[in-house]
Amino acid sequence: MFVKRLALAGAVSIAATAAHAECSFQNETPVTMLSAAFEAWVAVTDAMAACGNFSPELDQEFRTKQPEGFAASPSLYQLGGVSNGTITPLLNAGTIRPLDDLIADYGQNLTPNQLIQIDGQTMAVAMMVNTQHLMYRTDILADLGLDVPTTWEEVLTAAAAIQEAGVVDYPLGATMMSGWNLAQDFVNMHSGFGGTFVNPDNTPNVNTEAGLAALDMMMRMTEYMDPEYLVSDSTYVQQQFQQGRIAMANLWASRAGAMNDAAESQVVGLIGTAAAPLAMEGGAPSTTLWWDGIVVASNISDEEAANAFRLAMEGINPATVQAAPDAAIWLIPGYEPNEMSQGAIASAIATPAPPSYPSTTQMGLMHSALGNELTAFFTGAVSAEVALAAVEAAYTVAAQEAGLLE
Amino acid sequence: MSDIPRAMRQPLGLKLGSAAFLAFWCLLAAFPIFWIAVMSFKSPVDAFAANPLDVIFGPVTRDRGDGLSALDIGLGVTVLYLTIKLALGWLPRRIADWSPHGYQWAGWIIGATGYALGFLILFFGLLPALLGVLNSILGPLGTPLIGLTTVHYESVWIGREFYENFLNSLLVTGGVVTISLTVGTLAGYGLARSGSNIAFWILIVALVFRALPHSVLVAGYLPVFITSAEWLRPILGENAPTLYGQPLAVIAVLVSINQPFTIWMLRSFFQNIPNELDEAARVDGCTHFQAFRWVIMPVMWPGVITTGLFSFLLAYNDFLVTSLLLDATNQTMVPAIAGYFNRETTTTDQVEAVAAAVSITAPLFLLVMVFQRQIVSGLTAGAVKG
Amino acid sequence: MKFRTFIWFVGPSLFLMALFIALPLYSVLVGSFYNTYDVREMVEEETCTAGFLAQTCTTTMVSRPVFGEDGRVQTVTEFVGWTSYARVLEPARAWEAVRALDYRALMQINFWAALRFTLMFTLVTLPLVICMGLAIALAVNNAAKSIRGPIIFVSLLPFIITPVIGSLSIYWLFVGDGILTRGIEAWLQRDIAMFAQAWTIELLMLFYRVWHVAPFAFVIFYAGLQTVNQDTLESAIIDGASRWDRLRYVIVPHLMPLIVFIALIHLMDAYRVFEEIVGFRAQAHVISLQWLTYDLLSPDDAGNRAYSRANASAMLTMVGIVILLIPLLRRTWRDHKGSSH
Repeated sequence: MFVKRLALAGAVSIAATAAHAECSFQNETPVTMLSAAFEAWVAVTDAMAACGNFSPELDQEFRTKQPEGFAASPSLYQLGGVSNGTITPLLNAGTIRPLDDLIADYGQNLTPNQLIQIDGQTMAVAMMVNTQHLMYRTDILADLGLDVPTTWEEVLTAAAAIQEAGVVDYPLGATMMSGWNLAQDFVNMHSGFGGTFVNPDNTPNVNTEAGLAALDMMMRMTEYMDPEYLVSDSTYVQQQFQQGRIAMANLWASRAGAMNDAAESQVVGLIGTAAAPLAMEGGAPSTTLWWDGIVVASNISDEEAANAFRLAMEGINPATVQAAPDAAIWLIPGYEPNEMSQGAIASAIATPAPPSYPSTTQMGLMHSALGNELTAFFTGAVSAEVALAAVEAAYTVAAQEAGLLE
Repeated sequence: MSDIPRAMRQPLGLKLGSAAFLAFWCLLAAFPIFWIAVMSFKSPVDAFAANPLDVIFGPVTRDRGDGLSALDIGLGVTVLYLTIKLALGWLPRRIADWSPHGYQWAGWIIGATGYALGFLILFFGLLPALLGVLNSILGPLGTPLIGLTTVHYESVWIGREFYENFLNSLLVTGGVVTISLTVGTLAGYGLARSGSNIAFWILIVALVFRALPHSVLVAGYLPVFITSAEWLRPILGENAPTLYGQPLAVIAVLVSINQPFTIWMLRSFFQNIPNELDEAARVDGCTHFQAFRWVIMPVMWPGVITTGLFSFLLAYNDFLVTSLLLDATNQTMVPAIAGYFNRETTTTDQVEAVAAAVSITAPLFLLVMVFQRQIVSGLTAGAVKG
Repeated sequence: MKFRTFIWFVGPSLFLMALFIALPLYSVLVGSFYNTYDVREMVEEETCTAGFLAQTCTTTMVSRPVFGEDGRVQTVTEFVGWTSYARVLEPARAWEAVRALDYRALMQINFWAALRFTLMFTLVTLPLVICMGLAIALAVNNAAKSIRGPIIFVSLLPFIITPVIGSLSIYWLFVGDGILTRGIEAWLQRDIAMFAQAWTIELLMLFYRVWHVAPFAFVIFYAGLQTVNQDTLESAIIDGASRWDRLRYVIVPHLMPLIVFIALIHLMDAYRVFEEIVGFRAQAHVISLQWLTYDLLSPDDAGNRAYSRANASAMLTMVGIVILLIPLLRRTWRDHKGSSH
């Protein structure tokens, strides 16, 4: 039994390499890359590895290692995998190079909506988008005769009905784990209420009507949630869906695929997706858009950069999408959106459109301040105004230390 | 039993109470680890099931065809029992017979590795093949009773190439233990034999060094290590290495961070070896080094083994230093497991992380099983002085 | 021995410790009094980001770092004195809260909440670990010799399992509908959420730390028990001592050096409590001093790290440990002076 499995594993891995073995050129120069470790990056780096001489590092500590590694001379890595947030330190330090020339040479397969441009210069090439949107149990809503909610008020009404019926443990789930996740949920809700975060002069701007409304809405949501929501990250909420314990949640699009994985999930085929609910009438879906993409280091020679970019294009071509169609919401041509990606697409193309998460230092500081200080409101220790004032105070101290404020 | 004086014998109540407490503690100690080991052999749906009986019996796993029949269980338990019995009785005798005099340790390593490999081939190769045939013949005795699947272990060790991380861990841990003991025994001996106040203050300062939070230390090393090629170039020329990602650099860091604890323990062991031994050697004309090498080294092994085991544990289970200072090619096992919990962890990833964690603990089990007598005797040899 | 020989023996160890601990410690100390930041300017910038069908372009005023002539970002390193310490300790706000006797307001300041939990954690787990270790050692000493080996092996299990997985395994047993939580719910006939309030999480963390460290204390005490002088015990019985008196007046004094050693090691490790907070995701309810330092040092998405404040927090942690260790160190000094070499 074991030997058979071993042989099968061997055969499968050979077959997998064979599927990627169509690389259009043989890479002679060693290329290294540092990125996060989730499935989409595995798919892309596997495709690039077929060209030879490529050693990717898929590391969870990339946030710490990337700025240092790219700042070394020569840079420790030629390529990097970044998102809206993690491109900021590289942009600020000037350790990534503009890609316009390289795109002219090797980027014929790229579409304009994949390009990340600052002041007209392309600094990154995006390969996928991700966003939080509504996921729900189609069978529960159908049984109770409820429409798919489009605003947060409708979500709360539906949650009340579901709680009355008592068909699941908790009607709502949310990724409100203290820290980054809680701050992200607040960012989504606050954007939905039309709020901004930082003024142009770097002073904070969250202790406003929009901020109070966002906190109020989030608190009302917690009535229908698992009381341990302050330790629930997106893995936990995904598991709650898979184990049939919640009925609705505003969850990351990249989590949708696993809902239909029979090895893990007890709700195969029962999850539907829709655009993130609106917070106010005529507003944008209360979510933010995130992209993940590739950057090229600047502390390397031009020949190395050209070679690395050419290799990167091999990684984000239609063949990768075909090999891993459910790994992400790809921006690469050839991607056929399936049923589970409808919610993300609906959020992205809604009018008005939700904002893209800003790639600025100030937003990073604000995100940390939110994550640390909002918890006190949810544990009941302080009121909403006091919590938001604490957020602004924490942001101010951090900004002063970073030289953004006096 | 008869040589215990009557006054020291314990009333039945106390004996029962003590036994009950011990049983309760053993249950407490073993249960979480036993539980995650059980989880790692089930499909993800069963592993995180709400009903504990579902986790133990794994109905979903069994329904998919992965399971143990009554025959499997009986034969497997018998083989395991025989293996352990032979390992404790027959194996040491054979090794003692075969290994040349003075090289017992080499004989042990070869013998133990050979035995382990033989066991693995038998238990995971031959036995399943045999049982596969037998189960199809035996009908009701051959139907699966308990769900059990090894797919997570396979995907961790083969799919994610965990064996590379395992070898890296062995390299780093072996290096840390060797260098730590070498440097530590010298320092411990020096501190034990010198009664000066400087020796005492060095120990106190070392203790205070141990108090520094590791997260700060490591955050300080990272930029220095990454840019090491630049600032080492004036000293080492063009071939100045980048220390980031070098196992040797991580070994040096781990040895240094653990030095305070090592020298404290070794100093107390050496204090318990009587002065007279090396005094006699020095009277005969040896220098301090020669006295150390020829007189002290043969008798210091119990204490050194115990300290070595603590060093081994610290290096093997380390996370902060190895996760930040090693790159993907040299990554050790614990950061590799932490890497399973990335942005997109799924339930399958979690169960695979558990399987990897159980795999990590297996060599430690073996080590503790083999060395537990030495641990206690080593601590006895030096423990009294504290 | 002569001083030169002493230095030769102790040299390599001192060199390693000086290079990898003393030097970083010095740089942490110095770093807590300085602050480094980028020089920035305000410019108008047009940013186009990826979209599913089309790019979204916005033009805003942003604050960007200024580049010097060498192509690197211009940074300023200035001496800030006690400012970073003040930012961590928030003395004005803390003093206000103390004067108003407002405990909750004091706990809203991160440092003081972390200090409160760290002190409570350290001082509560210390006697628990020592008593538990001693109890297990006495119980194992009582057990029949044939089963001692396996019992020692099982008792060491919590100590050898890596903390990342150890804390996670206990977390999974209790979170949500974990089997132990359901057991407690069935016993108490009510719904329980172990991770929804601070005190249950603190209890779990205390339990985890005692579970993890008691084997270490047990093994050391057990070895010590092997060397208890039987004659002293017998003469104590002749003098009419009960079992409890024998424990108090013969065994515990014999083990006192070990108790001091374990107390030293445990105080240092418990004060640096960190893995429990990460493993149990407790940062919503409780934080510790090392977690605060780690959080200040962890880069956010935009790469910001509060170096200066993290250095100040680390120095404050070390000062706290040294203060806690002083009674035990004084005792060790007395032993050193009193013992003959």
